Amino acid sequence: MHIPDGLLNVATVATTYVVSAGGVGGAVRIVNKKLGEKQVPLMGILAAFIFAAQMLNFPIAGGTSGHFLGAALAAILLGPWAAVLIMSCVLIAQCLIFQDGGLLALGANIFNMGLVASFSAYYIYRLFTWLMGSTRKGTLAGGFAAAWASVFLASVFCAVELAVSGTSPFGVVVPAMAGVHALIGIIEGLITTAVLSLVLATRADLLQLQRI
Amino acid sequence: MKHSFLDQYSDRDSLIHRLDPRTKLLTSLLFILAVVLTPPGRWPVFALYFILVAALLILSRVPLLYVLKRSLVIMPFVVLIAVFIPFFKEGEIAGSYNIWLWQLSVTYNGLQVFWNILAKAWLSILSLILLTSTTRFSQLLKGMEKLRLPGVMTMILSFMYRYIFVLVDEVMRMKQARDSRNFGGGRLRQLGTIGNMIGTLFIRSYERGERVYAAMMARGFDGQTRTLESLSFRPPDALFGLSLGFILILAMVLNLWYL
Repeated sequence: MHIPDGLLNVATVATTYVVSAGGVGGAVRIVNKKLGEKQVPLMGILAAFIFAAQMLNFPIAGGTSGHFLGAALAAILLGPWAAVLIMSCVLIAQCLIFQDGGLLALGANIFNMGLVASFSAYYIYRLFTWLMGSTRKGTLAGGFAAAWASVFLASVFCAVELAVSGTSPFGVVVPAMAGVHALIGIIEGLITTAVLSLVLATRADLLQLQRI
Repeated sequence: MKHSFLDQYSDRDSLIHRLDPRTKLLTSLLFILAVVLTPPGRWPVFALYFILVAALLILSRVPLLYVLKRSLVIMPFVVLIAVFIPFFKEGEIAGSYNIWLWQLSVTYNGLQVFWNILAKAWLSILSLILLTSTTRFSQLLKGMEKLRLPGVMTMILSFMYRYIFVLVDEVMRMKQARDSRNFGGGRLRQLGTIGNMIGTLFIRSYERGERVYAAMMARGFDGQTRTLESLSFRPPDALFGLSLGFILILAMVLNLWYL
């Protein structure tokens, strides 16, 4: 889902850069106010954690493989603004170190996999725990739904950006991306649920962290 | 484990390596912007970009085969997205095929846009590879900080860079443990195993983060990081920036001229 350079037109690049810069700027302000510089090492290590977790590939049909996105997990554990910051750092590093996602497309990638994924995941998770209570069942169901939605929505936004840029026709790229990622989202959901159930079993206190 | 998978070759020495990271960041951004702004079908302009990036790659003394291999890793994704264009753009038909119930026709216009996207993506990736294989990540961060990236983000990024190696080692050990215990079973079992691995990794990372923070507090951390090296903008940077800017303006003029 990392968009490389050359696929987006300048209008889309400019719009997504402005929106992402605003979002990340807001995240920096809020994290600074609520945490000070206190938890910076922790967030750095968690960004490295997302990065390392993304290295665990699993096979999908036909020789391709997928990997964990992690935005939902970060948002559930630390809150949406912290997740936005962590995901942005992961995406910047992936762009600069692995050329995974372009430099001009960075705004779009941060928008899709940072802002959209984190916020949708966080509020869907909250909705589930509010409806079902903060029980084990509520947490796991919420985690699954949040992770699925984060991947699905991020891919829809990614497809819309590509279509608006004239890179691929709307009627092809949106259903194709959404369809594929509806399946990948199930895998993301299953992994997130497994992670959450492990954390619940071993260090349940980590699910009660201050969320920002 | 060998950790050369990140910013490989960035510790070498060449004209390009010695430039200020800010110069390199800004010129890369300008270069990619110019490439993306170029309308389809301007092959002489694309050739100019290619010669430019190739000359810089040769100057930087990064092994060219490595650059080529690295740049081709990303291309399948680009092809996958752009491959529909030749079939959907309207225009003069270059060929038409009957596949089962559909009639597919490829247009010249569409093909041109397709090749154009491929060329743009490839040139951008080449310039990014040039940037990262000639600049150490810490230098790049320093440059981004000077270019007003928020302090919290550069700190998170530098911690991330520091601990990626540790955590990747951890992942490798976990993978080895998993594989030596015969990682098999159904899809669901596999996902469960990966979930447990990621969960364990999360708890270990979190606890490590707490320990690191405590250790930093014990050593008088006050929210600031201080380093001895400072960046300096020298005459070669100005020269490099100006000449690259000149070439890009030339390319733009060439674009207009072709209209």
